[in-house]
Amino acid sequence: MAELTQNEKRLLAILEKEKKADAPHLAGLLGATPEAVVQWAHLAGDKGLVNVERVVAKEFVYTDEGKAYLQKGLPETQLLRFILPGTTLADLQKHEAFKIGFGQLRKKGFVKVEGTSVTKTPGASTVEDEASLREPSDANPRTKDLMKRGILQESETVRNAIAITPAGLALVKQGLDLRDESGTLSREQIISGEWKNANLRKYDVTKLPKKAYPGKIHPYQRIIGEMREILLEMGFTELYGGIVQQSYWNFDALFQPQDHPAREMQDTFYLRETLPLPKGYEKVKAMHECGGETSSTGWGGVWKEEKAEQCVLRTHTTSVSIQYLANNPNPPVKAFCVGRVYRRETIDTTHLAEFEQLEGIVMDENVSFGNLLGILREFYNRMGFESVRFKPSFYPYTEPSLDAEVYVDGIGWIEMGGAGVFREEVTAPIGINYPVLAWGLGVSRIAMLRLGLKDLRLLHKSDVAFLRETPSLRHNKGGI
Amino acid sequence: MAVITLPYKYLERLTRTDRKTILDKVALIGSDVERIEEDHADVEFFPDRPDLFSPEGVARAMRGYLGIETGLSSYPVKSSGIKFTVDPALANIRPVLGAAVIRGVSFDDESIQSIMSLQESLHWAVGRGRSKVAIGIHDMDTVKPPFHYIASRPSRGFIPLDFKEKMTMTEILDKHPKGRDYAKIVRDFPLYPLIVDDDDHVLSFPPIINGERTRVTIDTKNILLDTTGTDKRAVSVAVNIICTAMAEAGAKIESVEIGGVQTPTLAPAERMVSVKECSRLLGIELTAASMAELLRKMRFGAEPAGADKVKVQVPCYRADIMHDWDLFEDVAIAYGYDRLESQPPKTFTVGKPHPVQVNAALAREAFCGLGYLEVMPFTLTNEDVLYKKMQRDEKKGVLHVMHPISIENTVVRTELLPLLLEFLTLNRHRELPQRLFTVGDVVDSCLTYQQAAGVSTHPDADFSEAYASSDAMLHELSIDYTVKESADAAFIEGRRGDIIVAGKKIGVFGEIHPAVLNAFELEHSVAAFEFDLRAVPGYPVL
Repeated sequence: MAELTQNEKRLLAILEKEKKADAPHLAGLLGATPEAVVQWAHLAGDKGLVNVERVVAKEFVYTDEGKAYLQKGLPETQLLRFILPGTTLADLQKHEAFKIGFGQLRKKGFVKVEGTSVTKTPGASTVEDEASLREPSDANPRTKDLMKRGILQESETVRNAIAITPAGLALVKQGLDLRDESGTLSREQIISGEWKNANLRKYDVTKLPKKAYPGKIHPYQRIIGEMREILLEMGFTELYGGIVQQSYWNFDALFQPQDHPAREMQDTFYLRETLPLPKGYEKVKAMHECGGETSSTGWGGVWKEEKAEQCVLRTHTTSVSIQYLANNPNPPVKAFCVGRVYRRETIDTTHLAEFEQLEGIVMDENVSFGNLLGILREFYNRMGFESVRFKPSFYPYTEPSLDAEVYVDGIGWIEMGGAGVFREEVTAPIGINYPVLAWGLGVSRIAMLRLGLKDLRLLHKSDVAFLRETPSLRHNKGGI
Repeated sequence: MAVITLPYKYLERLTRTDRKTILDKVALIGSDVERIEEDHADVEFFPDRPDLFSPEGVARAMRGYLGIETGLSSYPVKSSGIKFTVDPALANIRPVLGAAVIRGVSFDDESIQSIMSLQESLHWAVGRGRSKVAIGIHDMDTVKPPFHYIASRPSRGFIPLDFKEKMTMTEILDKHPKGRDYAKIVRDFPLYPLIVDDDDHVLSFPPIINGERTRVTIDTKNILLDTTGTDKRAVSVAVNIICTAMAEAGAKIESVEIGGVQTPTLAPAERMVSVKECSRLLGIELTAASMAELLRKMRFGAEPAGADKVKVQVPCYRADIMHDWDLFEDVAIAYGYDRLESQPPKTFTVGKPHPVQVNAALAREAFCGLGYLEVMPFTLTNEDVLYKKMQRDEKKGVLHVMHPISIENTVVRTELLPLLLEFLTLNRHRELPQRLFTVGDVVDSCLTYQQAAGVSTHPDADFSEAYASSDAMLHELSIDYTVKESADAAFIEGRRGDIIVAGKKIGVFGEIHPAVLNAFELEHSVAAFEFDLRAVPGYPVL
């Protein structure tokens, strides 16, 4: 049996003598409110120690109108008293009770109007009506009539009769500890040793108090953090760069032709700002126009400086990696970047105009396409995806290119990201003489799978309840 | 992306094998199978391979990949004896012309559909929406050579395809559906491109519409192909892809004379590539012989030329082969990505987090310690949220995107606090207290840097809470600061402070102004603060 509270014990002790009593009566004896007594009785009732009997009593009460009639008589009674031989209708109309009373008299057939004179009919009497006003009863149809007239109202009163059960009685017989309970252990009690006599309140361990919510990082940030940690463990240097980039670094340095559809206004957020081109841009220009000094043919046509100067919200973090490579041309380079990127997409449940991209690059003597596959396999394995496969793909700035797919139980093969070796058209103009392995993946895709979200927007416009309830530690099975 | 319809019967006849064998392997040459239907499959190919935008092209590639027929497909071309003149006045309008005569075609509804969709896919992938390349095909037997590509007055008229009445070219741009779609390519020129035959009958008004007169039907036996544009290489690629696809379907290709040159030749280009370079790039051991064999599987002509060299003949339809590595990718595809040995590189390196992220993580840790919950709002927002509701003036360095998707996303955030208040609005129905924080990028003109912001809302949230929380955050991040009375209208006067570091304002804290609460439809007071993380000692300068 769950522990009794001090109040339940006091109630039982009183009931031992009273056996059965109303809550107000017990409240008087216990020095508490009847509501509190009922609450204690229910607690004890849950344990089978008392019975709480709810007695509902019906009662008639008078409305303000009814109260007035109690004193003065019903309007019809007042009028009846007023009618004397020779009373005219005009006299009667002056009476304050005329409006209501006259109708009632006519309805009951107690008056007769002849010309201007009003007379009582023989035997006219409101005695019974007055009686039903003073002593209303359910059975009396006149009472019902008075209720309809808004003179009387019915009201329910609830009374709680509390009785001790044999089990309760037995418990009291065993003896109750009626010492004062204390909720908190005071400093005084602790240092004085008084705690030895203190009767600390015992709590019901099955009842959770008001919930506490810890401050914590966003579940999506936690997934980003996990990926960062994996890459740091794998020996990668983290990069950070601006979200505003020159077209030159976002597109041109990556050998994206100036008339490429991805560069159009429909796909990219352009800004009015421009930035001057970096030193050595002529090499990129030559690469686009004729392939520079490589075996490439280039794109042909004329490469325009103005187009490259225009700023955009970066469409990929590759704009950050390529600048890092340009500044760090000596091998080995192993670097990664997680950051927000922007595409001019119509926002819906699976498309956002801004999302996180994770990207890695490796530049070294003698690294190969096979090594790229190895890095990806290792990364996805560490993320918990056991089966990884690769298939040919196309990206404008890599050759060869691939897409990586992972196997998720219950879903099947899911495309996770693209990768490839930077084209020589990309690396040669910035003075890189070794292959650069590059790969990227959409972080939100994994987050959506892991967090079971149906709508990507919830990552950024989150319900606080979702954030509070998502535990920091989640058991990922097979990567999700 | 180009999704190509592959009718099974036609594909099986051209590939000379069954549909299952083809569909099982088609993804391995670089494609995504979108739909498998009763009589056809829809397969998506990458934009760098327009030669695969037809069943004929796919069959040619698959015959190689499956080992049914390898090596170079050669396409003999004989001269048609027909001339095509080009008006010099087109030099600044649409100067480049490509053409060919295709004889002995036998069309049915399916193959006409196939050539039309190849044309449309090429317009998209190579032609950049017809501005760079536009293709027209005509029933050769309705017109009289030689042909003339001229610059004509816009008032000249002819009956355009799908119409019964003669229309001027100006009218076509205004009224014909295709005219309206592509008018912008030619509208501003004084003269418009036009192709006519020797009797002055109009064949085509490129890049807009053909004439009704030369409509291709299932009875058409001989075709005149015209391809006009602004880029010589792109025009030639389009001609080559169409001619070789038609040749695969059984037609004979004949050249025409343009400016004294016979075109097309459909001849392969040559490249000499290094076996060692390819082996190194892919991470596999190759010999000249094995590499040549793999290339032949991808329909290149390839012969060993010494131990380290392979002489490659690149078919005229392979527009994507710009560089030796483009060939190496084909070697990898022929070899099979699943057979490549996947080993991470062996070089030893040490991982290093970026200081900006290290600081952000420290800020997150301190916020969590104070009981704040992290949120990650969007970085695109609007002036109403950032400034108007906050009773603040628009910041000088705010970036407006030029073509926003909606009025909700017009600028990049310059502060975080307004977005946190927006978050509180979103979560009004959730239990209080709510304490939220965010750490992230903001921009000032082209410069990106990070700020940190926190809000706390509950009936007792006040200035003291804002002050104490921001003090705790700044202390944890070793930011040595002073405070002075703030004038920030987002906060209540007398309950707001500016955070000063080295004489410069780096942040603000206080009790949010009730008018701001009203603007965000919030019902409880909010204690808030935000500061610039560049104030952290030793913070990296970007």
